[in-house]
Amino acid sequence: MHESPANAAVTPYTSVVQVEVLIFGAASFGAKSDRVHVKVSDTPTVREVLAAMHAQHPALKFALPPPETGRLAVNHAFARGDNAIRQGDEVALVTLVVGG
Amino acid sequence: MVLALIIDGPLTPELEARTLLGHADQLRSLSGDGTIGATLRFEGIVRRAERDPEAADAERDLLALDYQTYDPMAQRELEALAASVAARHGLKSIVALHSRGRVRVGEVSFVLQVAAPHRAESLAAVADFIDRLKQDVPIWKWSVWAV
Repeated sequence: MHESPANAAVTPYTSVVQVEVLIFGAASFGAKSDRVHVKVSDTPTVREVLAAMHAQHPALKFALPPPETGRLAVNHAFARGDNAIRQGDEVALVTLVVGG
Repeated sequence: MVLALIIDGPLTPELEARTLLGHADQLRSLSGDGTIGATLRFEGIVRRAERDPEAADAERDLLALDYQTYDPMAQRELEALAASVAARHGLKSIVALHSRGRVRVGEVSFVLQVAAPHRAESLAAVADFIDRLKQDVPIWKWSVWAV
């Protein structure tokens, strides 16, 4: 007897997207670039992008805030935690600022 | 009055005077209304000796600092910070100017001027502003070494 499609186990499927993160100051100097890219699940949160940066760009650790409490700039405003990042958003790492 | 601006190059007295010209009436009326008991002015000046993290934190001579800003967020955050500090400390006015681009040794890169009813508020406001500037306003500096 075959299982009907309605009862069949659904295979979880998550698409992966690439998020571009602008970097500045010492982070930019260390990476020799003004941006980095991270692979994350579709419509990631700020927390997930920060966690991906920790995992995929360990050389930037000195400039990365903890994913749980850290923030990114999303479309030129600070965002934390569960804030979603959508396609087309401008994302920037704004830490270790040294104005003044 | 709350005024916060990011300006290209060093902050010279002439540039500052030109920048504040449009606000002269407001500043004059504030200074003459009898509510201000203290004004305080802070200037950030590029100094010659700076530690070089690439040389085990040894002191080296600077030629200049290059200030990099993330625009337009830097301008927005500077304005938001000025408004927040003015409200928190009950200031009558606050003027914050910060350089973008190259500022040579001896030149001014940051000006903060506050006016408050009492000395304590003005002193606290300057310290608070500078601490939060370094956390919240996306401005970075690059050292340009003399040699």
